[in-house]
Amino acid sequence: MKVGFIGLGAMGRPMALHLQRAGYELFVWARRPASADGLPATLCATPAELGRQCDVVFTIITSSADVEAVALGSNGLIEGMAPDSVLIDCSTIAPDAARRIAARLAEKGIHMLDAPVSGGTQGAIDATLAIMAGGDAAVLERVRPLLDCLGQRIVHIGPSGAGQVAKACNQMIMVAAIEAAAEAMRLASASGVDCAKVKQALAGGSAASRVLDVMGERMVKRDFAAGIEARLHHKDFGLVLEAARKSGVPVPLTASVAQQLNALMAQGWGKDDTASLLRVLERA
Amino acid sequence: MKIAFLGLGIMGRPMALNLIRGGHDVTVWARRVESMQPLIEAGAKSAASPAEAALGQDLVVSMVADAPDVAEVMRGVAQGAAPGLVAVDMSTIAPAAARQIGLDLAAAGVDFMDAPVSGGEVGAIAGTLSIMAGGSDAAFAKAKPALECMGKNIVHVGASGAGQVAKAANQIVTGMGVLAVAEAFAFAAKNGVDRNRVREALLGGFAYSKILESHGQRMLDRNFKPGFKSWMHEKDLNIVMQTAHELGLCLPGSAATAQMFNAMVGSGMGEEDSIAVLKLLERLSGQE
Repeated sequence: MKVGFIGLGAMGRPMALHLQRAGYELFVWARRPASADGLPATLCATPAELGRQCDVVFTIITSSADVEAVALGSNGLIEGMAPDSVLIDCSTIAPDAARRIAARLAEKGIHMLDAPVSGGTQGAIDATLAIMAGGDAAVLERVRPLLDCLGQRIVHIGPSGAGQVAKACNQMIMVAAIEAAAEAMRLASASGVDCAKVKQALAGGSAASRVLDVMGERMVKRDFAAGIEARLHHKDFGLVLEAARKSGVPVPLTASVAQQLNALMAQGWGKDDTASLLRVLERA
Repeated sequence: MKIAFLGLGIMGRPMALNLIRGGHDVTVWARRVESMQPLIEAGAKSAASPAEAALGQDLVVSMVADAPDVAEVMRGVAQGAAPGLVAVDMSTIAPAAARQIGLDLAAAGVDFMDAPVSGGEVGAIAGTLSIMAGGSDAAFAKAKPALECMGKNIVHVGASGAGQVAKAANQIVTGMGVLAVAEAFAFAAKNGVDRNRVREALLGGFAYSKILESHGQRMLDRNFKPGFKSWMHEKDLNIVMQTAHELGLCLPGSAATAQMFNAMVGSGMGEEDSIAVLKLLERLSGQE
């Protein structure tokens, strides 16, 4: 089977490699062709050309507008992909945008799944991503063998857009937990207590979490080099708040954490790790 | 002056009326034809489209709901405009959107100014609105005689978009102000203290504000009729929060307040005055 892949960043590149190693013939397109260097793949000139060659196309790129341009723009996937082929968008974008793009593709008989992922760069490298899919369940079953190459927990959430809603929920919980860890670390050190000891003690109790493990460790070590760049969480929080607004659902904690992310951006730490929320607290 | 007025809602209708009373030659346009009738009876001409309304005018004024509406109306104006026309939008929209519309209109030879208002329906009727203008000195000078028919405190804040920035700042202060007064009243009541007396005491000190005085009184009267509808305040705070997101600006108080208004809209209080945030607080703390 021929598989297309667009978006060869920190997440996309290891994901594409897993597919290639599993025996799928890989076709790629990149805005900067250099990002495809060293990949055992055929480089295509446009998304449309890639679409013409492939039965299944993956995208994992930054914004709703980027996905829209690659899928629907001039020389976009919609101009090349055949009826009954499948676009799997692993980007984190607005649920509305996902639904809109899926509807346009459906007019040409092209299927789309929104399939955002959680697990970060390490999860992409280890092929242990959590994948939350929205779209036709039968289509998901068709492409499940490909997704099995990328992740361990693949859940069909519901119709088109539902995967993005789940991802928004994921980001709300995760980044709020990072802020909680940062505040706890800040309180500990401001009280003259060893953060590392606090973190060690908490790991055995009810406050234990993956975020405390991973991000807490970065905070203790003051290692703010990105894992996942904080600017991406900042972007995601814009989407979450917009979705909450459209639903008329109050999200006071999310809104408050979003302001800490705004401050983080203002400090110029957008390309650092979100553990930098600790440094925002230290500025106050 | 020959003035076209576009958009005749709760605010636009009395504003246009004040221009007619000020002796200006006014042509109106509104999406719903019936809303033009009272203005025609008061002496206005009517037009079938924004483009037609803009023909041969010295000034165009718009008062519509949201940025896409302003952009659409102004596209029409650009078609009908003679070079040098000044167009003043008095709607509340995002500063970035106002700047973009200004650029688009400049290409068509129209000098665009953003001039949102504060003061509500009461101020619009009385001609006592606060007007915050952003645009060129020339546009401000040209529009000023018309603005003086509609408002009292008229400030040229700065370049294109600056009026909307001032309006967003106004909504931060009024949004948090309304919530602050409501929280103070909820606090007093939960402590078993008479809110009327609390308001009276506070009016003499540093907590004095117009909001404590007038909005506070309406809270005590439990008069939640708009006024200024909560969904509109929610919309305005969304402009604030989106702009803060884009700029990387930490606004914790505004964020918390925006969520309260979001909850009001979500729970069916959108058409009530924003002081109904008191009812939301009472519900959350079991004070109903």
